[in-house]
Amino acid sequence: MADANTPKPSSSVKLVLLGEAAVGKSSLVLRFVNNDFQENKEPTIGAAFLTQKCNLPTRTIKFEIWDTAGQERFASLAPMYYRNAQAALVVYDLTKPTSLIKAKHWVAELQRQASPGIVIALVGNKLDLTSDSAGSAEVSGDGDDNAEDSGDARKISTEEAKTYAEEEGLLFFETSAKTGHNVTEVFTAIANAIPETSLKSARGPGASHAGASRTEEQRVNLNGPRDPNAKEGCAC
Amino acid sequence: MLNLSSFVQKAQQLLDPTQGLNLTDSDKNPSKASLFQSQFRLPDSQHPLYEITAELTIPPSNVTQGGKNDQDRGFHYAGKLHLSEAYLCFSTTPSSFLQSASTSTSSAFTGQTHGGGPSGNGFTFPLSSIRRVERLHSQNFQFALAITTWNGIGQDAPKDLKDRKEVREQRITIQLAGTRVACERFCDGLKKGLRAAVGNVGKLKKVIGECYSEYLLRPEEQKGVNPPDAGLGMLFRYPGDPKKLRDRAKMRLWAEYLRDNGRNVTLIRQPTFHKLIRVGLPNRLRGEIWELTSGSIYLRLENPTLYADTLAKHSGKESLAIDEIEKDLNRSLPEYPGFQSEEGIGRLRRVLTAYSWVNADVGYCQAMNIVVAALLIYMSEAQAFFLLSTLCDRLVPGYYSTTMYGTLLDQKVFESLVERTMPILWEHLVKCDVQLSVVSLPWFLSLYINSMPLVFAFRVLDVFFVEGPKVLFQVGLAILRINGEELLDATDDGAFISVLKNYFARLDESAHPKSENPKLRAVTKFQELMVVAFKEFSGITHSTITELRLKNKDAVLNNIESFAKRTAIRNLGPESKLLSTDELGAVYDRFYGVLYERQQRDLIIKQEEARRAKSNRISRIGQVVDEGNVEKGRVGLGPSTSLMDYDAFREFLAGIAKWAVSDSPTQSRRDTGSSNGGGFYNSFRKNESSVSPWGNGPEPADHEFLRRLFRKWDFDSSSALTLQNVVTGLARIKGKRDIMGTINYFFELHDDDGDGKVDREGILRMSEALLFLSRRGLEGTLDRPTAPNGMMTEGGMVTPGHEVPDQSINERFLGSVSAFIRRCFEYADPDHPNNQNTQQEQQTQTTSRQEDNLISIDDDDAAQGLADPDAFAIGDDDDDFDDEENDDDLLGLESPTASPRMAKRPDTATPSSLQPPSSLHLDPSTAPSSISNPNDEDQRRRVSRQQSEKANIALDPNNPLHITLPTFRMVVLADELLEQFFESSFPCSFHLVEGINMSTGGSSSTSGASSGYGGLGNTFSNIGFFGAGAAGNNAQQGAGAGRGLRGVLDNIVTDGMRVAAEVRRRMEEAQRELEKNALPGQQGRPGANRNGGDDEDDDEDDGGPVEGLSLGGGHNSGSAAGGSAAGSVMDGRRGSGQVRSSDRDLLTGADAEASDPTAEVSQVQQGSGVPGGSGNGAGSSSVPAKVVGVEFDG
Repeated sequence: MADANTPKPSSSVKLVLLGEAAVGKSSLVLRFVNNDFQENKEPTIGAAFLTQKCNLPTRTIKFEIWDTAGQERFASLAPMYYRNAQAALVVYDLTKPTSLIKAKHWVAELQRQASPGIVIALVGNKLDLTSDSAGSAEVSGDGDDNAEDSGDARKISTEEAKTYAEEEGLLFFETSAKTGHNVTEVFTAIANAIPETSLKSARGPGASHAGASRTEEQRVNLNGPRDPNAKEGCAC
Repeated sequence: MLNLSSFVQKAQQLLDPTQGLNLTDSDKNPSKASLFQSQFRLPDSQHPLYEITAELTIPPSNVTQGGKNDQDRGFHYAGKLHLSEAYLCFSTTPSSFLQSASTSTSSAFTGQTHGGGPSGNGFTFPLSSIRRVERLHSQNFQFALAITTWNGIGQDAPKDLKDRKEVREQRITIQLAGTRVACERFCDGLKKGLRAAVGNVGKLKKVIGECYSEYLLRPEEQKGVNPPDAGLGMLFRYPGDPKKLRDRAKMRLWAEYLRDNGRNVTLIRQPTFHKLIRVGLPNRLRGEIWELTSGSIYLRLENPTLYADTLAKHSGKESLAIDEIEKDLNRSLPEYPGFQSEEGIGRLRRVLTAYSWVNADVGYCQAMNIVVAALLIYMSEAQAFFLLSTLCDRLVPGYYSTTMYGTLLDQKVFESLVERTMPILWEHLVKCDVQLSVVSLPWFLSLYINSMPLVFAFRVLDVFFVEGPKVLFQVGLAILRINGEELLDATDDGAFISVLKNYFARLDESAHPKSENPKLRAVTKFQELMVVAFKEFSGITHSTITELRLKNKDAVLNNIESFAKRTAIRNLGPESKLLSTDELGAVYDRFYGVLYERQQRDLIIKQEEARRAKSNRISRIGQVVDEGNVEKGRVGLGPSTSLMDYDAFREFLAGIAKWAVSDSPTQSRRDTGSSNGGGFYNSFRKNESSVSPWGNGPEPADHEFLRRLFRKWDFDSSSALTLQNVVTGLARIKGKRDIMGTINYFFELHDDDGDGKVDREGILRMSEALLFLSRRGLEGTLDRPTAPNGMMTEGGMVTPGHEVPDQSINERFLGSVSAFIRRCFEYADPDHPNNQNTQQEQQTQTTSRQEDNLISIDDDDAAQGLADPDAFAIGDDDDDFDDEENDDDLLGLESPTASPRMAKRPDTATPSSLQPPSSLHLDPSTAPSSISNPNDEDQRRRVSRQQSEKANIALDPNNPLHITLPTFRMVVLADELLEQFFESSFPCSFHLVEGINMSTGGSSSTSGASSGYGGLGNTFSNIGFFGAGAAGNNAQQGAGAGRGLRGVLDNIVTDGMRVAAEVRRRMEEAQRELEKNALPGQQGRPGANRNGGDDEDDDEDDGGPVEGLSLGGGHNSGSAAGGSAAGSVMDGRRGSGQVRSSDRDLLTGADAEASDPTAEVSQVQQGSGVPGGSGNGAGSSSVPAKVVGVEFDG
């Protein structure tokens, strides 16, 4: 998908991922950037930085993704990362009610502190653990008693999260980084939601001169680490 | 004798501009003790007791390194010998920790150390590792000691003499340079220490048993035993290629060094030691050397079983930290095979869990899993556990705290260093808006383990543990320097990061691949990095870091705190929206401010206690306090508590509400000088003046009402309030601003079992609370202040000089409360159906005494109501049905705005539900009508159908009664002042934003006009306590005099007396009335009060005030008792002062004491031929006249 043959206007978008620890932020990014999944992913220390392009019919968006650490105490570092971000992915775990609360906190934080006009997407991850993992966004009851039996670990109904997202004006998706379900869609939707105006002003000079050096640098990131088993995604 | 290198060091010290700067980032004035502990990596329990200039001589047999030494005479080091409680330390870094020494000499080691690490060359011997100390003859009559250690104690005892030779005895000599007195003092101290250390040899054996060096140095034939645990690497291989790492060669070199210079705790640091570390440690010794150079082995020595004990103690428990740990166990160095196995993961789990228990403030922080996983490859679980402690407490303080302030601070420091050392690169970063810390933060947080390939990260750690945190900065700067040109090409975060990522991936490649010189070609990028880091950036010293940390600390903490505040306030939940943002912010600040200050005071008080205890025990140390933690509790540092206990709650309230300030502070003496930091450590006299437990703020009152409020706010009954609890509590009082809400709240506060009823006791408590809350005057908007009238005037007690409107309102309030009690009883419901029946019967007999004006609605009636003889008919809101209908209509017509809540009677299920219909309708109608009273007549007719005889039932404790919320509401609304109190005064009394300004507490700060209030309240409660007004007055005077009030004293006393007399009068009336009407059982009760002035006022007081007052005296009695306690504390203090000084005498005479002839264990032996070891004569005389060392087996 990184194929950009036709000279379409290209611009960078800074995107930050926020959310409780172990909801799958890094895995989402890994799926999006490398189309890969690791069962035991090292926790992100501070933040990891990755890039990936997203081709839209009219333009190319290059995401500069800041994948932040999720543990509560790292929250005070977050402003460092969401500074100047044009988009944010606030992730929660469909099987963990507390993670949605945390996600709401992040949304509130972003709405007040981040750059105005930031595009926020609320993402419920780990859809593969729920019974409707096929993707049909069917609403299952909250805290269903026999949920465990039927293999449905879902604790947060689609309806609940969706309602909240609509109230706050957020994009909303349920994804599975493991199966890849809906992952690209999230990023495409964000790319589409970024207003044209903010693109031009955002990183104008860098984007225009992107040319050769950019593609090269991107290859570095896209090809990932020198060996597939090595740790991945940490910033440096 | 001084050798050259120490001269060089000295010279550099003088040149180093950063000398004299401070060490710990948390304190601008680090104590000598903490400097000492840092230099020798000793636990906090160790303090510098004695020090002396000395020269260390290592005999030829121990010398393996060439150099410029004289082979025949061994190797000499000049430096300082230090003695602490349990350690004997020598360092060539000539720092001094004496009281008299300047700070610069104490922090000398923070300068350039040339790879020697802060502790320089020398040794750090636990006293328990010293086997024998002998005093040697020396030519110049100088003191020379020969020290023999327990080197090799871990090995099985050699069976015969031949084997004995295998274990070389480690024997060094130290020549002391000082006056005879100083030397002797040092030796005596050493002797005492050695004696005390004898018991610890067992611990020592256990600890060194886990050191790999013991196994390494075993003779071949004894190597059958299992080697000690040297980490997961023994099971899963160590990372890297051992051949490439030249592990065997390194091991041989180390074996040789350890054989000659002692192993683990008995190791002597010589230059080779540091060189060997710089080239990278061999795998199996790595853990042990880390433990040694970081000093964590001394922690382990102090409490060898702490790790196992902690695990055992908390086995099976759960915590948030454990949940967090579990999440990360499978993702800690997952590429290392050991952490794909249950064995490795189990170890990691145990170490992290144990640490989260011993340091709950830190708990678990991501990145700790990676660091600990790395440690576990090279060391046992217990070793890793203690090393983690050392890391968190000393090496990278605050990195893993809940706010990670250490991490953020060091990022700022790093940025400053980049700006200073690489200005061009820095400018470039600024220009491109690249934030350096997004790159460098993970380096520091994971100690490079997550950034570099493991083998190289471990090499960095090798140096880091011996030389301290500056290494992290040096390496970081070197990375940027080496990649400088490429980085200048990068224009955004992404490019910047990928340059560095590439670099780290190629650290093992040649730094100069194209060089002709094969030697140069062999230099790897990593070696280059180390050279640049430690050569080019050798100017980055511990002082540099400390200086920059201090400089940036406040900004960083403020940032964190404002972030934390913002987040906390935002997450407070919907209730908090009732308060304004300003108010929330103020509550937040006050909440944490109180917690912070309390912790500070606690710490200072504890330190003082500790010092007092210490100075009773040991000698001549004025200062044994580690001030390192003085800032504990600051939010930015990761608050160690976010819970407010009852005392803190009182203090919090005293900051925002006048009524929460105590009237009679227990502590009259407040030495402000003692609370301002380190200045007072040097003066013994000042030490005696303890810090007030309430700091400089006013002393909070302790009243039953406060306890109730606390319990009410303590939503989950955890005996502690969170910020959330406090905000919710305040929001309910202050936020709603509706009188009904406040009235309900007040009622609920006194409804202990939540059944919607408040009994007799409760009624009295309510009135007590009202008096308590109003004793400093009413606040808020009080409409229509009317001239004083009624009982006060009648009593003739009002002094003309005090006719201030405010005051009269206050006096009226007193009357209102009095009327409140009366009316409560009047309208109370009996608890027993039996009584109700009786009442109903009686009621039918006497149906119409309606003319009595019970609820006096308009102002002018208020006083008359009080004075109304019939007002003491006991209330019964039981109406006949006609009236009820009537009221119903009234309600419908007159008060359509009544809130729906009022229509619900809370206790329909209780026995009193016989009357629900009437009270149901009665109250809402009363509420509005009492304000705008168009239907006075109806009400009067309705409510006053009472009989005064029923007073008997109400007063009889055998006939329990209660009021319900509607009744309470009615009673409150019946009185204008009470109504205003609930409408505005009470909510207004919480000054969240501006606070109250009562500098010295008590009533001393109240202004002239309001000074009466304090007196009023005081007197009132004093009466309660002492049971008689006269006594109350005495107490009042006593308390007043004790407080040393200013000119207002007289006023207060006068006012107090006046009011007291008034109250007494009223009580006596009540008493009389009681006796008149009382049942036989009640007659004898408060007889003491009977010396009554007769009064025409027929008030049939119902005993309420009497009882109420005697009940309500609680807080005053408390403070009175506190006062006497304070007195005795002061005495005690004086006493302890004497003890201390006598102790000091004893201790200065310690020389004499040290000659205790029973000291058979005395390890310091004086050659008896040497004359004049003044105190030691007795001890040594029992020993043959030769140098004899007493040996003992541990």
